[in-house]
Amino acid sequence: MSQQVLIVIPAYNEEQTIANILMRLRRAAPEFDRVVVNDGSTDATGNIVAELGEKQLRLACNLGYGYAIQTGLKFALKRGYDIIVCLDADGQHKPEDVPCLVKTLDESGADMVIGSRFCNNRPYKTPFSRRLGQLLFSHLTRLLIGRRIYDTSSGFKALRATTCEVIVQGSFMDFHAETIVRLSLLGFKIVELPIMAEERTFGHSMHSFTSVYHYPLKTLLLTIVAAMDALLARRTR
Amino acid sequence: MSVQGIVIINLLGLGLIMLVFNLVRIRKLYVGYGVIWLLSIIGLMVMISFPPLLSLLPQVVGAVYPASALSLFAFIFVFLVLIFISVQLSVLSTRQVELIQWLALSELLAQEQDQQNISQDDNHEEV
Repeated sequence: MSQQVLIVIPAYNEEQTIANILMRLRRAAPEFDRVVVNDGSTDATGNIVAELGEKQLRLACNLGYGYAIQTGLKFALKRGYDIIVCLDADGQHKPEDVPCLVKTLDESGADMVIGSRFCNNRPYKTPFSRRLGQLLFSHLTRLLIGRRIYDTSSGFKALRATTCEVIVQGSFMDFHAETIVRLSLLGFKIVELPIMAEERTFGHSMHSFTSVYHYPLKTLLLTIVAAMDALLARRTR
Repeated sequence: MSVQGIVIINLLGLGLIMLVFNLVRIRKLYVGYGVIWLLSIIGLMVMISFPPLLSLLPQVVGAVYPASALSLFAFIFVFLVLIFISVQLSVLSTRQVELIQWLALSELLAQEQDQQNISQDDNHEEV
């Protein structure tokens, strides 16, 4: 493959899983570059990544998932990568699926491929509140773009650089439903690829008790803003 | 309002003006915000010192009592100030994020450049 691919791995206090993820990535996708975005980790994540000799973007303090991803995307754009894959460091995504995701992006001609945990009724255990949020945003997305995206909050996706340029500039939270709606309404092609995912066994989820309620509201607001933005952009074209 | 009330409010206003001046002087308040607060304090003092002005307010908003009209204006003012402060906080927050990202990107790009230079030097030595 002539295209340059970068795997962006946002990590916040993932000392238990990061080494495993990186080693598996080396085996599964040796031809792809990797960069870990160390989102102000206070544990040994940074040291482990450095010991493994992997590239690391060290954020001076914890900016949150969305900004960590944005930093990785900015790096990819600066370095001129053609395809960017985002992969969570908590071990729920299988690094072995990365080549498949990139292949799907290539073959389908899509602008973004989402590794979907819920597509085709895949069994994936998730707390009821989160599943409810998933369903809400899945249907909201269908309402806004006219087709259903089953996993709007998947952190496992592959994008083309041209797609990254659009989403890095726009308003975002975690590059979830708001990004899907923005891209779809702007005419970008989005494809879902069913994947098997595991629940995290180490560390903590980025969703605390309060953010379980705060997160959907913020994403809802940003999704509506993204829809307005995209519609205005289409009008001015 | 009684003369005593007007005097007390004006004294309080003068105290607040001194406070704003001092905050600007010791650089704890940005001069732009200082101007906003000074104008609003002076506006309030003028309004209260001249009762005919105060009685104009209820007519403008269709209120029965001057106090309720004043409360409405105060509420609108506080609301606008809060929105303004939220905007300023968001701007600062965005700038902070951009700065932190720039630092991280610069560090990695510099590291890559160093490694490239070292490997180039090694190649020269081998040749």
